[in-house]
Amino acid sequence: MANYFNTLPLREQLNQLGVAEFMDISEFADGVSALKGKKIVIVGCGAQGLNQGLNLRDSGLDVSYALRKEAIEQKRDSWKNATDNHFTVGTYEELIPTADLVSNLTPDKQHSSVIDAVMPLMKEGATLSYSHGFNIVEEGKEIRKDITVIMVAPKCPGSEVRAEYLRGFGVPTLIAVHPENDPQGKGLAEAKAYCVGTGGHKAGVLRSSFVAEVKSDLMGEQTILCGLLQTGSILSFDKMIEKGIDPGYASKLVQYGVEVITEALKQGGITAMMDRLSNIAKIKAFEVSEELKDIMRPLFQKHQDDIMSGEFSRTMMEDWANGDKQLLGWRAATGETAFEKTPAGDVKIGEQEYFDHAVFMVSYIKAGVELAFETMVEAGIKPESAYYESLHETPLIANTIARKKLFEMNRVISDTAEYGCYLFDHACKPLLADFMKTVDTDIIGRNFNEGKDLAVDNQTLIAVNEAIRTHPVEKVGAVLRKAMTAMKAIKTV
Amino acid sequence: MTDPVVHIAQLNLQYAGEVVLDQLDWQVFRGECWLIGGKSGSGKSALAKVVAGLEKGTGTVEINFIRHSSLPPRVLYVSNWYEFTNLEGDRNFYYQQRYNKHQKNDTLTVYAELAAYAQAEGLSFGDLEKYLDLFEFIDLKGTQLIELSSGEHKKLQLIKALWLQPQLLIVDEPYTGLDKASRKKLNGFFDDLAAVGVQLVLVTNEQDLPACINRFAEIDKGNIKQVDSVQALSVDASRNRKPLPLFLQEAPVSPAEVMVHMENIHVRYGDKVVLKGIDWTVRAGEKWLLQGHNGSGKSTLLSLITGDHPQAYANNIALFGQPRGSGESIWDIKERIGIISPELHWYFDKTARVWQAIASGFYDSIGLFRQVSYEKQQKINQLLDFFELTEVKDRLITTLPLGKQRLVLLARTIIKNPALLILDEPCQGLDHTQTAFFNAVVDELCGFGKTLIYVGHYETQLPNCLEKKMVLEKGEAKVIEEMNEVVC
Repeated sequence: MANYFNTLPLREQLNQLGVAEFMDISEFADGVSALKGKKIVIVGCGAQGLNQGLNLRDSGLDVSYALRKEAIEQKRDSWKNATDNHFTVGTYEELIPTADLVSNLTPDKQHSSVIDAVMPLMKEGATLSYSHGFNIVEEGKEIRKDITVIMVAPKCPGSEVRAEYLRGFGVPTLIAVHPENDPQGKGLAEAKAYCVGTGGHKAGVLRSSFVAEVKSDLMGEQTILCGLLQTGSILSFDKMIEKGIDPGYASKLVQYGVEVITEALKQGGITAMMDRLSNIAKIKAFEVSEELKDIMRPLFQKHQDDIMSGEFSRTMMEDWANGDKQLLGWRAATGETAFEKTPAGDVKIGEQEYFDHAVFMVSYIKAGVELAFETMVEAGIKPESAYYESLHETPLIANTIARKKLFEMNRVISDTAEYGCYLFDHACKPLLADFMKTVDTDIIGRNFNEGKDLAVDNQTLIAVNEAIRTHPVEKVGAVLRKAMTAMKAIKTV
Repeated sequence: MTDPVVHIAQLNLQYAGEVVLDQLDWQVFRGECWLIGGKSGSGKSALAKVVAGLEKGTGTVEINFIRHSSLPPRVLYVSNWYEFTNLEGDRNFYYQQRYNKHQKNDTLTVYAELAAYAQAEGLSFGDLEKYLDLFEFIDLKGTQLIELSSGEHKKLQLIKALWLQPQLLIVDEPYTGLDKASRKKLNGFFDDLAAVGVQLVLVTNEQDLPACINRFAEIDKGNIKQVDSVQALSVDASRNRKPLPLFLQEAPVSPAEVMVHMENIHVRYGDKVVLKGIDWTVRAGEKWLLQGHNGSGKSTLLSLITGDHPQAYANNIALFGQPRGSGESIWDIKERIGIISPELHWYFDKTARVWQAIASGFYDSIGLFRQVSYEKQQKINQLLDFFELTEVKDRLITTLPLGKQRLVLLARTIIKNPALLILDEPCQGLDHTQTAFFNAVVDELCGFGKTLIYVGHYETQLPNCLEKKMVLEKGEAKVIEEMNEVVC
């Protein structure tokens, strides 16, 4: 199988990368009717599989689960998840031939073998749905020409997909139709209906393409979302320990701080996050983030280039073939970091303190979000897509760190994201080594404002505010967040 | 004279700029067990929390423990609300979560929770069995916290308190959600504790009290005032009745002759049978009372009707004339039902404000995600006026006294004038006056052609309109009958 993206002429590459249309709720007026009475068979019953299925059924659709024979015979968790919730469960052979729509919600790594097993069983003219386009784009899987291929990708963990649906809302979702596989022209209608069935239409839907979703998703998760948060957590913690800050305090400030800081990001973008700082701290954070952006830009560009060329997925698939040797080694090493091994202390840290005592973390997150966004847009990805995969998801990932640090983050995210995260982390730490020598506890560990005159120069402050507020990520964010205002606060602290 | 156990002098406390406790003086001596009652919102819970060190006021607050006692020198405050976190440390639950099954455990089991408590407090498991046994908790040891009913959560709180036997035990609304038998047992336990030297402070307006209670007080204008007996406590003035808004005087369109039809219903989780062989038909316009002991399956039965339980798809149920699983969505079902339950209240959006919460009732959502039309806004304003909530319409619900919170949820429930009202222990935690008002509103509402299913423990305080009764016992329908005698 050849990398699909690389088989396309440049014109078509740009064309597909550039699909990003924010959809109005009125486009979903048909509800689930395109799938009403049709048979939906979901393959896989993990967090996404189970929760999407529960929502689809509660929306009046006919849902059952196809699992591998061994999973059924050995009564594995996927089998229990489905049967405990009273779904019909059967083998591929039993259920796939009856399906009008097959939804592949297995982990990335299994996609190729799942599709090889499922495709010959699918009936003529049926639909195949994904929640991530890696298999189609990076592995270049070719699907039988009579089959319609769509994507419905909720941009949240499976548990949130369910929780938000039951409160009468939904999670922001990307939908797409694969241009090579839309023989009857029904793809978009079915993707929209599926999206309504999961509740996604209420929270802001972006019409994307398989290519745009994959190339932006990979970039986001490797850099700002997982890689940068991992590096930032470790560097912040290590710096505080080096400078004699109490380890329990340092551990807590980082673990929960990323969540508190990015909650402001979620509600009002970088502007709101920066506005939580005093004027002098904001100016400092701005300067630090500008410096960080200059240092890290080449690394962000390398990640984007490797994603576009297929080099990233090629090396990762080599590791798959090698029994995940690299991945497992890096995962073990992360478990051994001092940050991971130091439990959060039993100290009270006020909400504002998480900002005032962690100006470096604020600067670093600002630098990461802006760089990821800028690099994606420069590579031909539309601002809307870039927003979803950078700023929008950052608080969701930060929440996993608040729960159980980096271990939890790397457990929750996909193996693909985890692999990319380590790649970034290992390159970024040496890159920042010199810079970190200049960092002291005024920007990480202690209150930046303490003992300082809070006065600022008007012109400087105006210029800094202007630069923050007019960044393109803020412009597109203001529009998209309007559709998501009802997203609830995630709180662990 | 020995030192008082609790010595409070010149205590002041303010919440958001409002004076709650004003120069309060109070002493609790050995051998005294207090009841603090009186009007809602007078500051009872605030005082209890100050004694327990959970709120900081200004003034003197001293607790003098006995040094050589087998009882731990502790003040334990059992709040009127329960709280737990999931294994990842957060509290983002939704009220239907206990019915959705995942292999991954979301919360600790009862046993693990108690084990952690024992370790933290240095308790021995040998003493625990009798409390588990008496609250019928033995079978629940392996149950996850998320799966407990509200009454069971209350019992778990009490089990922990009784097990610890602190020198000073303060229990805020101890009887909320408990059935008759459990209340009686609990009073027996309180007397046992008092006999071994635990000093009790109960915060409640309940009349059936343990014998050990020998001091009665209420809070009046921020200060404590001792009274002679529980009967002498002030009660909230009964409310002026206003006419029901006109839009609620219209009979809702009845979608079908038979609202709920259930045949041979079975629900089980693994080996645990929750409902067994239930047949039940609710016809349009009928007013049902549903009763049963804690954990008898009442809430589970109702969740099958409200579209909140996945096992509805595996049972023979028809709602509003349509079999479940025949293409309807849960939103089609919820549109016709107004529901209140302790779980809905407990898991309700903590960031919700009164007006928005009522408005969300039009869409059956937790949180308001849409623009509200002028006509709907008018209805909300009329209901606010009817319930005398206009003044607090912009407040966070959680900052209101419990009775008012419940009225907000009732307003949210009836705002769309639903054909079927399901009120699952709607008066839990309300005092007699509040309950009387609430039930009178229910009676009036139901005079306009609504169908009602009402869950309540107390025969003495029920709406008058109820005409049929079903009693569940261990998941089985024990009694289905007409209610002949007038209950009021």
